[in-house]
Amino acid sequence: MNLAKLKAALRLPAVLVALMAVLTIVSPRFLAIGNLSNVLWSVCVIGILASGAIYAPITGGIDLSIGSIAALTGIFVDLLMNRAGVNWLLAIAATIALGAFIGLFNGLITTKFKVNAFIVTMAAKTYLYGIAMVISQGGMKSILKPAQFLAIGGGRSFGLPNPIYIMLALIVLSHILLTRSSFGRRAIAVGANEVAARLSGVDPDRTRMAAYTVSGATAAVGGIVLASLTQQSFAGAASGIELDVLTALVVGGTSLMGGSGSVVGAFIGAVMVAFIGNGLNLLNVPAPYHPTATGIVILLALIFNMGIAPRKRGAAGGKHLRRTS
Amino acid sequence: METKTAAGRVLLDCRGISKSYTGPQVLDEVDFSVDRGEIHALVGENGAGKSTLIKIVTGVTDRDSGELEFDGTAIPRSHSKKAAQELGIAVIYQELSLIPGMTVAQNIYLTKEPRFRALRLIDLRRMNDDAQALIDRYGFPLKAADLIDRLSIAQRQTVEILKALSDRASLMIMDEPTSSLTSAEATRLFDIIRKLKAEGISVLYISHRMEEVFDLSDRVTVLRDGRKVATLEKVKIDPAEIIRLMIGRDLGESDRGRRMTRKAGEVVLDVRSLSSPGLFRDISFELHRGEILGFGGLVGSGRTELVRAIYGIDAYDSGSIRYLGKDYRPSVRASIAGGIGFVPEERRLQGILAPISVTRNIGVANLDVLTKAGMVSGRRELQFARRGIALMNVKPDLPDMPVGSLSGGNQQKVVLGKWLIRDLRLLIIDEPTVGIDIGAKEEIYAHIEHLAAQGVAVILVSSDLPELTRLADRIIVLRKGRIVKEFDEGVVSEEDVLLASSGIVEGARR
Amino acid sequence: MSLAALRRLILIGLMLAIGAALATAHHVFLTMGNLMTILQQGSLTGILAIGFTLVMITAGIDMSIGAVVAVTSMVAVNFLSYTKIPVLLFLPLSLFVGVVVGSLNGFFITRFKLPEFIVTLAMRGILSGLALMIAVRDSTGFIQNVYIQDPTYLWFGGQAGPVYIVTIAFLVLAFFTQLFLKRTRAGTNIYATGANPAAARLSGINTTRTIVGVYIFSGVCASLAAVFISSQMMTAMPDLGIGTEMDVIAAVVIGGTPFTGGVGDVWGTVIGAVFLALLKNGITVLGISPWIQPIVVGGIIVLTVIADVWYKGLAEAAAARGARRARDAAADGAAA
Repeated sequence: MNLAKLKAALRLPAVLVALMAVLTIVSPRFLAIGNLSNVLWSVCVIGILASGAIYAPITGGIDLSIGSIAALTGIFVDLLMNRAGVNWLLAIAATIALGAFIGLFNGLITTKFKVNAFIVTMAAKTYLYGIAMVISQGGMKSILKPAQFLAIGGGRSFGLPNPIYIMLALIVLSHILLTRSSFGRRAIAVGANEVAARLSGVDPDRTRMAAYTVSGATAAVGGIVLASLTQQSFAGAASGIELDVLTALVVGGTSLMGGSGSVVGAFIGAVMVAFIGNGLNLLNVPAPYHPTATGIVILLALIFNMGIAPRKRGAAGGKHLRRTS
Repeated sequence: METKTAAGRVLLDCRGISKSYTGPQVLDEVDFSVDRGEIHALVGENGAGKSTLIKIVTGVTDRDSGELEFDGTAIPRSHSKKAAQELGIAVIYQELSLIPGMTVAQNIYLTKEPRFRALRLIDLRRMNDDAQALIDRYGFPLKAADLIDRLSIAQRQTVEILKALSDRASLMIMDEPTSSLTSAEATRLFDIIRKLKAEGISVLYISHRMEEVFDLSDRVTVLRDGRKVATLEKVKIDPAEIIRLMIGRDLGESDRGRRMTRKAGEVVLDVRSLSSPGLFRDISFELHRGEILGFGGLVGSGRTELVRAIYGIDAYDSGSIRYLGKDYRPSVRASIAGGIGFVPEERRLQGILAPISVTRNIGVANLDVLTKAGMVSGRRELQFARRGIALMNVKPDLPDMPVGSLSGGNQQKVVLGKWLIRDLRLLIIDEPTVGIDIGAKEEIYAHIEHLAAQGVAVILVSSDLPELTRLADRIIVLRKGRIVKEFDEGVVSEEDVLLASSGIVEGARR
Repeated sequence: MSLAALRRLILIGLMLAIGAALATAHHVFLTMGNLMTILQQGSLTGILAIGFTLVMITAGIDMSIGAVVAVTSMVAVNFLSYTKIPVLLFLPLSLFVGVVVGSLNGFFITRFKLPEFIVTLAMRGILSGLALMIAVRDSTGFIQNVYIQDPTYLWFGGQAGPVYIVTIAFLVLAFFTQLFLKRTRAGTNIYATGANPAAARLSGINTTRTIVGVYIFSGVCASLAAVFISSQMMTAMPDLGIGTEMDVIAAVVIGGTPFTGGVGDVWGTVIGAVFLALLKNGITVLGISPWIQPIVVGGIIVLTVIADVWYKGLAEAAAARGARRARDAAADGAAA
């Protein structure tokens, strides 16, 4: 690894350490073990969602429906286990399949009807919320059993909360998928230049649909973990989390214009978003103010990213699929 | 021509215009003038400096030196598009500058809509009436209230002209205005241009189509390699002579072209009556092992569309393709799997994945061999990339470098390289050396020739005539989507190809 | 008949059909009070939607409008609670919230060339927190539910005869905005910027100024809506209006202003807003679970957009086929 690369790779961790340092100075409680593991809880859900949501922006799209998918799947898994009496493992499998299916549906509309992903997934966010409201009767439900299910989010293994393992597993898996798999290669190629990718034998539509499917499936995993962790399910469970995830992605260096992204970066981004939230808590800033911080962070990160890699001009997008001689 | 015969007769006067961007001189001491009410054609090969000259006149680019005078006013070295427009210089774009969703009248009067004095609201009726009056004065078959979206390209062009007229333009610059028109539409455009001339408006006309230039122009100025070669009067305009001046190499009989050879041997590609409505029609040819088949023709003649259909990007309507002796229904995946490589035109838009490394660019076309159980072997991908880099002599030879930060020539080498490391049977290349420096050009030529020597069949689409005649064993010339000429024996010169492309096939038969 | 006119006719026809069905289903529906409530609800969404329409015509989007409503109403209740400044004096100041937010949106979008939705989404986040920060609190620090009692302020939520003031304001605003769009150079510039920004610049239009302008207008419309909404509710909470973006988007897209920019107008949006209010009213009147409202709104957006894209694709394909056939015919003619 040469020096420039090393520098680039260390930039984000350096910012993270700096942030931790600032938080420690501002509030000495920050570094306390109890506080750090508190942060990790909130890192987990954002990290799980980000591990899959990263593929939409990499292909040049976006998935804003993940929060609603997470809430809906949380309700769904509860209904399956505690209303329909389905075995908890089977229920989880079915729930992840549901998330994947919703994602596939988003991808299908985006690619086949050539509708902007932002509109499709934002509308999906709205109607999925409605569906969640309808099937949950608009109420909040406590999930009291089965114990195995509650252990997913609430239990500990080797001294650490289980969601941390799930998140780390998904981050590693997604990192491998992005950097080592043929799908990852295709996703990056489509986002970088759809036309050139197509001429090299990549099917942009299929790649995009796969991206949204992955996004939906991990949102379902996030929903399951969240439901298990909080022991409750309701339609507003993860509302607004898409902005946190988006911030984590952008802070982690994922381009919203497509063609580049880093899962490890997204993980660090998730930690940073959670730290900022935690820092605000420690400073007695109530949680509802956090979107203000998130909004500012995302804008700054976007502007900062632009300084590093200027926005591509006209490299992506179907409009260049024109015939010329 | 350079002396003013009567005060005010000359509308646009360029004296000693020079320009270089980086490196070579694009324009070198060009003297050039357009008279009032004159139709003046500007011709030259690609890269002769025509577009740069136009950009300087219209204020898009600054000149390095030289004097520019319009309508008796000296134009400063750096002037803006807006200033040029206000002086009365208008460029007729193809469709770029019209706003869809608006009517003809709205487009003509965009940003200068007539308004009521009170409240400064737009006077819609007056705008429509004025527009219709303008249209009627020239007898165009248009209605002021028509939506732009419903107009044909030719009609949109008319709107552009009307827009310029409403700006009181005294010079209209038209760059290849007929490239996407039918011949009937083109004829109508010529009538309009003559009408403009009758009104005292000058037209600077840029075209590759010799018959148009011949029919229309009062004078023709030929540019070559950034220099003005000649300005010919109407009486002296002879298409063959213009082409000779454009190409410029006064070649002896022995080396005035390349000897075409019909290759025998295994037929790699057999195309029969391939048609796609409006794009190309009834195209048939055979391509043999180790043969380089050139496709000549003007921009818009259907060459790119043809090779895209063969590679499987766009569907065709009728006809058949046999590849390696078997019936072939093209698709990009099948083509890649079957050993066909494709180097598209417009490298930046279609060829490279600019923000991504050389390794990934080469890898993405080779995913089929690099992938096992969905996983890509990074080690083998890097091997592939190194092979491609070494083979093509990509500089700098850094596999991690984003392709977008390489020079144009090296970008193209990467695009070519990703195919050459495969087991190719057929390579399709479309305008492979546009915007590439001479050194890289030579290297790419050497690779193409080497490839053919190894038995790979090559289809080469090129508007660069020296390139075409140098590389091709056989040249097929397309014109308006049809094969108009096939050169498969004897010596063929650039001139012959250009004459056939322009529709003056007789010239080529001499 | 133009496509836009046809679309309107279909929508109005649909509204009459739904109205007739609702009238037979429930006697409450056809009362003057209920009809006026529908118009009132439609007007509240509609005022937001008018500004949004202009943004959409430039091919942009403004996700911050709901949060602008929240912040503006918080500013207003602060004035009401802590000052004795007359309503008519501080109202312009409240509207200034929209100006500031719109300017910031426009600045980030044009200066840094960032995607519109992400800028305005971030702005939405920023403002939603800001609304909480400036909320009126009681001595224990809890957010106070301020009851608005000022008669001047409440006038905005009132009625003139049977018609709500907001409906009148909405129609007046719609009329002048439509006039502005269609009959002024600045309005024309908005269409040109959305339809073909490169061509617009080539024609001498300052697209940056146009884009910043529409975001400011959108912000001001949102601030204006905030006054009406809080006045009608006689109170304001810090989350007032957040989430209404989707209703607004639905109203605008059914009204015939697509996401792709360059076309659309205010009258379409007016019809769209009333249409949406009618549907929601129907859901309430029929006693259907209000939870299906988001499903209806999200579904309408997706279906409308798909239908629009599909139709546009068909029209373009037909035009391309026609052009190619004409070329071939001409080529045959030339060959003959």
